[in-house]
Amino acid sequence: MKRNIPAIAATMLLAFASHSNAATNIEWLQWFAAEQNAEFYETLVDEFEAQNPDITVKLITQPFGKVRESIVTNRAIGVGSDVLGLNMPWTSEFLELKILEPLDKYLEQDGNGFELEKLVQAPVGKIDGNTWMLPLNAFPFAMHANMTLLKQAGFDTPPTTWAELKTMAVAISELGEGISGIGMPFSSQPPSNGPILTFLPLLYTAGGRIMDGTTPNFDNPQVVETLTFLQDLNVSGAIAPGAASRTGGVDLEEFIAGRTGFLISPSVHAAAIVSRNSELEYQLVRVPTLNTKAYRVHGWELGIAADSKHKEEAWKFVSFLMSKEVNGRLSVVSSALPGNLEALSDINNSDPIFVAQREILENDESVEELRLAPKAVASWSLMTEEIQSMLAGDQSPEEAAGRVQLRWLNLIKK
Amino acid sequence: MHNVFARIFRNATPYWFLLPGLFILGTLLSVPLYKVVEYSLYNNVIIESAPTFVGLQNYTELLSDSSYYSALLNTAIFTVGSVIGHLVIGISLALLVNADIHPKARTLFRSLLILPWIFTAVVVALIWQLMLNPFGVVNYALKAIGVVQNPLDWLGDPGLAMWSLLLISTWRGYPFIMVSFLSGLQTIPDELYEAADIDGANFFHKFWHVTVPQLKPVIYGVALLDLIWTFQLFPLVWLTTGGGPGRTTEVLSTLTYRLAFVDFQFSKASTVAVTILLISAVFTLLYLFNETRRANN
Repeated sequence: MKRNIPAIAATMLLAFASHSNAATNIEWLQWFAAEQNAEFYETLVDEFEAQNPDITVKLITQPFGKVRESIVTNRAIGVGSDVLGLNMPWTSEFLELKILEPLDKYLEQDGNGFELEKLVQAPVGKIDGNTWMLPLNAFPFAMHANMTLLKQAGFDTPPTTWAELKTMAVAISELGEGISGIGMPFSSQPPSNGPILTFLPLLYTAGGRIMDGTTPNFDNPQVVETLTFLQDLNVSGAIAPGAASRTGGVDLEEFIAGRTGFLISPSVHAAAIVSRNSELEYQLVRVPTLNTKAYRVHGWELGIAADSKHKEEAWKFVSFLMSKEVNGRLSVVSSALPGNLEALSDINNSDPIFVAQREILENDESVEELRLAPKAVASWSLMTEEIQSMLAGDQSPEEAAGRVQLRWLNLIKK
Repeated sequence: MHNVFARIFRNATPYWFLLPGLFILGTLLSVPLYKVVEYSLYNNVIIESAPTFVGLQNYTELLSDSSYYSALLNTAIFTVGSVIGHLVIGISLALLVNADIHPKARTLFRSLLILPWIFTAVVVALIWQLMLNPFGVVNYALKAIGVVQNPLDWLGDPGLAMWSLLLISTWRGYPFIMVSFLSGLQTIPDELYEAADIDGANFFHKFWHVTVPQLKPVIYGVALLDLIWTFQLFPLVWLTTGGGPGRTTEVLSTLTYRLAFVDFQFSKASTVAVTILLISAVFTLLYLFNETRRANN
């Protein structure tokens, strides 16, 4: 036996080496597994590897706030991942940095697990003649309503218009100490994305936009109208005190705790609301409109790194995740709608929250502007600061809109 | 000759043992330092594979940027205010816990008073955000005793945010001063206080004419160390206010982070970082000068 050990060891080494040489290793950088069932994503990887024994996938999971930084800095030192979890607002700056691989030649291949036309279209629209990312899932921005507080204030159904929102939010705020009509998260703390969580969904229901093509267009009448509405809500006492120090996370927590009447946020938060406070009488509805039924579309996207050394293998994995069956399962786990709309027919979900999301998705106009917005992430800080100043009474909505526009244009010039 | 080398080798043995650690530490310190300075002399580092050498252009642009001066002023206010708070509270508490009371009570108080020091910045930020929330316990208490009528947005009001940060920083930083001062108090001979008692000195006389002169080198040393650490402080500010509202609490460290990881302006961020380094170096030299003078005395 002793004489055979070296031979056995040599054989094992050779087998390992040959296996290592045969399998291509790719990395998937994302935050999805950090926010949800991590084991599910590992199971997906195992399934893919079983179907593709020549490819191994390494799951790199980071908090959402770190992924954007990691994509940029990892690439700079040559250790970037192959498949990237992406957020649509990052598109413009990533294209400027040449981080993303155009997907068109892969989409034209035979044998893909999905059809481009059957996907949620917001992320796949061409920029510079190319498609850069695909939708893993999709969730509309919606309004979460605390029906208990609503009924205590004397109302039976959630608001459908801005005027109703103001009336109901003010009434809820008058219910007692610590109760507020609606929260507005305009804290400067990172990611200081309050404006895109609350202001933009309202703006789109007024038929407004903040972009003109690829150029910021923040000082326009609909923006001023929406800012005026926010200021009006604030002056009326409908907005929870401390908007300038309130983050999106605190906003959500306050709603879950039953201290806020309404919350405008991604509909995917419904899962957290229901699971964390099952006693909350809760309803998901579309964002109250001024004159347009529109919603801000959001979701988790997938892309391929431009400097990936294994793009074909990366595409196989992306194609696997976008296939009808896998995408459908992903949708259920993430409590969101599938990026591959073909999977909708297979998802047997009569949950009122899912039904409400689907109703918004199928009937309302979807809007996504931040893909084209230059310096999108930095622009949120500017919007946050100017809205803080407006809510403090230091400037008018017109001045706030003008200041954001000026600062945003200056930021792009740098 | 062989004996000479053998003697040298024998005497150098401790240094050989230190060498691996020194090498790793030196590499970990010097390489990032070199790279930051290098980045500050280029444009579009990190984001471009071939950045452009611009020399001192980033520095001249920084010196004409009002947001830099605003952050510099905020840093000065935050640093000086925090250090004064640490010293006043730390020294006061050190005197209190040095009192001649039951040993177990003294140990209990010393243990409790040191607690803020053991919490990480994340925990401290979260605790104080909850307490300073408009519906938090601070506003509740102030309203209960009639100091305020409506809840104050301690971290969201431009007029209050910096004061709130100073309060949080003071709460977190006083234990270091307290412990340093407390250990220094043990070295003061009791005879000096006895002599002062004979001369009719009260508490403040003894503090000012006995305690402070005896501990002046300690005070100076820990104040300088505290100054250096607080000047570069990042997590507490970023996690409580993010530099807001409206950049009223933006300090140099948060400005550096924002430029680098929000705006992806790594060259400009490196330039700000180098200025932080230079200013910190001045404080460090002062500290080393003080320590050398103490050692010589």
